[in-house]
Amino acid sequence: MFCYQCEQTDRSNIESGCATAKGMCGKDATTSDLQDLLIHAIEGIAQYTKRARALNVQDNAADEFILYGMFTTLTNVNFNATRFSTLIQDAAKIRDRVKTSYITAALAAGQAPEELTGSAVWQPASDLDGLLKQAADVGINAGLENVGPDIIGLRSLVLYGLKGVCAYAHHAYALGKESPTVYAGIEDALDFLSTAPTDVDALLNQSMALGTLNLEVMALLDEANTGSFGAQQPTQVLITPTLGKAILVSGHDLGDLAALLEQTKDSGINIYTHGEMLPAHAYPKLKAYPHLVGNYGGAWQDQQKEFAEFPGAILMTSNCIIEPLPQYRQRIFTAGPVGWPGVRHIGDKNFAPLIQAANALPGFKTEVSPKTITIGFGRDAVMGVADKVIDAVKSGAIKHFFLVGGCDGAASGRNYYTDFAEQAPQDTVIMTLGCAKYRFNQHDFGDIGGIPRLLDLGQCNDSYSAIKIATALAGAFECGVNELPLSLIISWFEQKAAAVLLTLLALGIRNIRLGPTLPAFLTPNLVQVLVDKFGLLPNTTAQADIEASLSRKAA
Amino acid sequence: MNTHAIELTTRDGSQFRFNCADDQNLLAAAADAHIVLPAQCGYGNCGTCYADVTQGDYTLGKYNPTALNAEAKEKGGTLLCCTFPHSDLHISLPFDHDRVLIGEIKIRSAEIIAIKTVGENTLRLELCLAPDENGGNGAEFEPGQFMELEVPGHDIKRAYSLSNTGNWEGKLEFLIRLQPRGLFSTWLKEQATVGQMLLVHGPKGSFGLYESGLKPRWFVAGGTGLAPMLSMLRRMAEFQEPHPARLYFGVNRAEELFCQAELNALQTELPQLQVIYCVWKPEDNWDGFCGTPVDALTQDLMSTTVMPDIYLCGPPKLIDAAETTARAHGVPDNQILSERFLPAS
Repeated sequence: MFCYQCEQTDRSNIESGCATAKGMCGKDATTSDLQDLLIHAIEGIAQYTKRARALNVQDNAADEFILYGMFTTLTNVNFNATRFSTLIQDAAKIRDRVKTSYITAALAAGQAPEELTGSAVWQPASDLDGLLKQAADVGINAGLENVGPDIIGLRSLVLYGLKGVCAYAHHAYALGKESPTVYAGIEDALDFLSTAPTDVDALLNQSMALGTLNLEVMALLDEANTGSFGAQQPTQVLITPTLGKAILVSGHDLGDLAALLEQTKDSGINIYTHGEMLPAHAYPKLKAYPHLVGNYGGAWQDQQKEFAEFPGAILMTSNCIIEPLPQYRQRIFTAGPVGWPGVRHIGDKNFAPLIQAANALPGFKTEVSPKTITIGFGRDAVMGVADKVIDAVKSGAIKHFFLVGGCDGAASGRNYYTDFAEQAPQDTVIMTLGCAKYRFNQHDFGDIGGIPRLLDLGQCNDSYSAIKIATALAGAFECGVNELPLSLIISWFEQKAAAVLLTLLALGIRNIRLGPTLPAFLTPNLVQVLVDKFGLLPNTTAQADIEASLSRKAA
Repeated sequence: MNTHAIELTTRDGSQFRFNCADDQNLLAAAADAHIVLPAQCGYGNCGTCYADVTQGDYTLGKYNPTALNAEAKEKGGTLLCCTFPHSDLHISLPFDHDRVLIGEIKIRSAEIIAIKTVGENTLRLELCLAPDENGGNGAEFEPGQFMELEVPGHDIKRAYSLSNTGNWEGKLEFLIRLQPRGLFSTWLKEQATVGQMLLVHGPKGSFGLYESGLKPRWFVAGGTGLAPMLSMLRRMAEFQEPHPARLYFGVNRAEELFCQAELNALQTELPQLQVIYCVWKPEDNWDGFCGTPVDALTQDLMSTTVMPDIYLCGPPKLIDAAETTARAHGVPDNQILSERFLPAS
């Protein structure tokens, strides 16, 4: 295996990357290799769907498969080698189906069908040994000796950004929103990768194109979330347990949560959110369920301890699973693209086994004094008080805005974000999103003239809200986003964050601080390009970075 | 008395460390450190706590040679329950870290809800767990694991593999071969009735599906060695796992066969499952395979191109013979998983 797609990748050797029997995330070499092969197979599908689309032939099932398949290969999503061996065979069949449609359409249009090569004509081996041999030639590092690390790094930037785009698009799809232009953009990028590109400018341009595409995807997802459940409203959320039987829902899929809430209506079982599910409490149509009682635990990396202690059943939706410990292995269920070998998967939103488990488990039996936090400052809530915010800036009551957010993780260097938020001066407002917020969201930040100093915008999926707020502020002050008293302090972990970063760069937003460490796939040359072109900044210390942001010493 | 640092490495590379005095066995020292390793009898008789010492000196106390054969012992194989260290030790465990329990083995009460004769001298015993101290009703175990059943008021505790899968109704199912003068067998035949309560210790054991493996799965069962195989196959059916699967189920005489209806039902849910019934001493009217399951396994290994993961359960002689034939046909050691049924002494 070779994988360096996430922030925690092994950096103990000169060449960073996980390359032994098991990655830092727990993914074994077989699964990692099969994921590489699945991506190769998906590129083959895209080679044909792109050309079929140009002839007005669409295959929505193939498009959905591309999103789902790519999503399964993100960090902490699917660790089940069996699932990948099936998906690879499925991919080849779908590719052949789209190929037939394309050839038929081309001939009908009086055109000679293109003779495609590479992934388009690849056939999966029938057994594991054969598949693993094939995987050796298609990993992200393939061709390194010929093209060098900068090109491999740029291909990685495209591929990992694309994985994030596909994940977000799948979230929107799961709530019934899809778009032919999004599918076309994804297919273009996959088709581009299938050519093993070596031109630096073409690779950078493709990265920016993905950033722009991701903005469209984030808008689609925002529409899906607010369209399905209403706009987020500022909401007090209980973060202490309530007596009774319990189910904990983690991951990001609000649709799965909604289905479970409906199926457990009047059952006496209380539903808790975990990790990135926290913003669910702010959506009117979700918080209308009285048994959505509260939030339990913190960010994803604490799940082994928290799930072991949770006295009920657990549902892991969409992503962010780590190895289930024996203490809760029987009572955790996966849904959507998530998978772990030996853990029960619910693929059809029929949560009866999960509910049965919750009924058989003890639930919470001890009362504790209630504690709450406030969430729900999506773009509608913030824009609703825009006048107040603008006045506060004009009067000097608010000196600066920080967006401190993104993914959390286990690395000790991530304390930077706690320090940053807590040490930010009293006349600054901190907007946050993603699970990085758990590092400081129980801290009492107070308010500035009634405007809370900490505004929780939602999931990482709600980055669109942050962009809309920044754009609205820039409009109000008649300046560009880069001229606003706003600094972006982004914490990244996996490939959704890579997609969001590309979007921010594509929007021309400068001086983003990215940490806790820069991606291992960005070589020193590539980092220099991002520093020169976009003023990208690595973290130093929280205090120094706060001071630099306030005095605008950034590049 | 000296204390030594013990380092255990699981099949998937996780490590556990604890200290052990030279007059303490490794299994007990690990348990003192709240590291509960798969084990059963605790006195070198069953072979459940088998491991390989890769570095260091030790003494092996009294043990049953059918639980640890001479060849394995020569290569550093040992039984943790009767291993006493003379130095720091590095030990390789033949299972993944998820089979190591951090904490204590659970003991729960369970009611007998059915006792049914399913074949000659073979019973199916069904229990229902009483709620635990927190009011939980679940029967949480991995397919392939076993429980120890204790009859309150009698000095009887015996280990049996579970034949069903984990569930939330508290159901436990065992297939039990009646031993002519066995204590539990006699109690089961003569005194056990529906409604009686037992104590169950567990789940225990590391035998089970190699979940992340993609190889075909061949299961070789002798007699009630079928129980853990049924559990694993039922799990495969529940999860709709696509691995090619074969079950070689062997008995001495055709009358001793049991669970055919269950196996037929499994084949409906798991269409890729082939079941090969093997009768060692058949009557003339037997039209299935004549011979032991090891004979059938040997025959099939000769013609296979992809080496399967092989799961073995039954009496030690069957397992030794199956391991020998599997190795002779090139199946790597890490693809042979076994559970030995040894008579209690």
